Amino acid sequence: MKKHIDPVQNHAFSEPHELIHIDCASHVYPDGSIGIHDLCFRVKENEIVALCGANGSGKSTLLEHLNGLLLPSKGNIYVMGEKIDSTTKKDLWKHVGIVFQKSDDQLFAPTVLDDVMFGPLNLGMNRGEAWNAAMEALRAVGAEKFINKIPNYLSGGQKRLVSIAGILAMKPKIIALDEPTSDLDPKHAEIIENIICELKENHGISIVLATHDLDLAARIADRICIVKGGSVIAEGRPSDIFYNVDLLEDAGLKEPKIVQVYEALCEFKKIEIKRKPVTVEELVKSL
Amino acid sequence: MNNSQASGHIPDLDLITYYSENSYSFLSKASPWIKLIGLIAIILILTIVKSVEVLVALYALLLLLYWQIGLPVRKLFDWCLLPVLFVLSLVILLMWNETGVPLFSLKFFWFSLTLTDNGLLLVVRLLLKALISMTSSLLFLMTTKYAYLSVMIYRIFPFPIDQIFLMSYRFLFITLDMVDSMIRAFKSRGGGLIKSVVRQSQTFAEIFALVFIRSYDQAERVNKAMESRGYDGTYTTSTEVPQMKPIDYIVLLVFLVVIIYLLLFHNSSISR
Repeated sequence: MKKHIDPVQNHAFSEPHELIHIDCASHVYPDGSIGIHDLCFRVKENEIVALCGANGSGKSTLLEHLNGLLLPSKGNIYVMGEKIDSTTKKDLWKHVGIVFQKSDDQLFAPTVLDDVMFGPLNLGMNRGEAWNAAMEALRAVGAEKFINKIPNYLSGGQKRLVSIAGILAMKPKIIALDEPTSDLDPKHAEIIENIICELKENHGISIVLATHDLDLAARIADRICIVKGGSVIAEGRPSDIFYNVDLLEDAGLKEPKIVQVYEALCEFKKIEIKRKPVTVEELVKSL
Repeated sequence: MNNSQASGHIPDLDLITYYSENSYSFLSKASPWIKLIGLIAIILILTIVKSVEVLVALYALLLLLYWQIGLPVRKLFDWCLLPVLFVLSLVILLMWNETGVPLFSLKFFWFSLTLTDNGLLLVVRLLLKALISMTSSLLFLMTTKYAYLSVMIYRIFPFPIDQIFLMSYRFLFITLDMVDSMIRAFKSRGGGLIKSVVRQSQTFAEIFALVFIRSYDQAERVNKAMESRGYDGTYTTSTEVPQMKPIDYIVLLVFLVVIIYLLLFHNSSISR
């Protein structure tokens, strides 16, 4: 009799740092629309993965699968080596936190402190421990001055910081952020961008970023996954993905500004594209 | 938020919250519990006292307190419009044919309506009671921080009513913002002017339906976000409400004495 080998366990021997493995998962909503379709996706330890795709491509649906809010209709999801099903999904939130696109959906408590303490209290921490975890998280994102504020009266950028703190306070291994810089002014977008990088560098947290802001993805992501029609149609390093114009066009995306500038310069000077810069620093170096 | 951002809602939750968060009067520093007991005491007084003199004195006292601690008196009178209309709409039917000295009569074909001094007093009494309830509630809400209010709700009400209150208060802000933005969009396209009552009613019905649908949708998303942080149906607040001090107990005693005094001496003797 053929012995069944769990794919993630099998995979775990070759790549021990894999935190999430989605194996050909599909999700069909009750109304029949397809959220994700035969999607394969991996998140490794201490990396930033950007899911880039047009509106309605399935990025947010994929994020909700990572946290156990949705279960696949077909295929398997493995988080930290454990297969996720209706019985194991209830503890998934302890490992994977989601920062939702609209902060107003996430911030429901009377004060910022109450909201940030919500997760740690659900983890079973006592009030003192939860307070410490909340304060630590608020300090990490620079939002400790808002602790007694009512979330409703914070600006969009401040709400986003508090939303991230609310997840960080639970000390998850992975944080999934849905369009983290959408609707933000450039200053707050930069703050959020720096925080995302710090979460990886200082806290060792893996980040999954759903965005159609390819400039942001180019600056901070280690790996890019292009999502279209609920499937990951391509993945690779930013420099490989963002210079593939046909691929981006197919996915309903446009190259990052740096890539556009570099391509225009190369065309103007009639030279071959070689270095493939995706950030300002890389562009300057190339020039 | 600041004072200038207040909306036109009656009551204006934003403005109420602005004062509750930014007021530094002695009433704001008092224990929230004693303020709640004070509010309950006033409601109790309203149920047992019929004396117009006592009600006038109580209303004057509340207005004086309201003005003294720096709350917006003019806005208060704007907000009075709804309770006054509400009481008048009820009392317009009840004030006729009360026993007492007739003031004037309206004769119709088969019946007559007589307004007596007691009928008029009924109007005044009900109006005063409505205004006192409203002013004392506003005094409580505008001097008590939202966080304290939520803890008190959590401590007082049983499960799941406490959960409903805790979440609905925050949700009210979001819903009001949503209504505000929809009405602004409506006005920006020429809406808001009464050109046709039928058209106007239809538009407001559409706005109401949209608010209902969006609120439902928002509730779904909030619930999803809460579940993603381990919500299992129970939410506990973490803020601590300041405990009652010795002075608060003295105030509590004064409330008791006043209520007992009014109950014993003013309930029947001065009531009209």
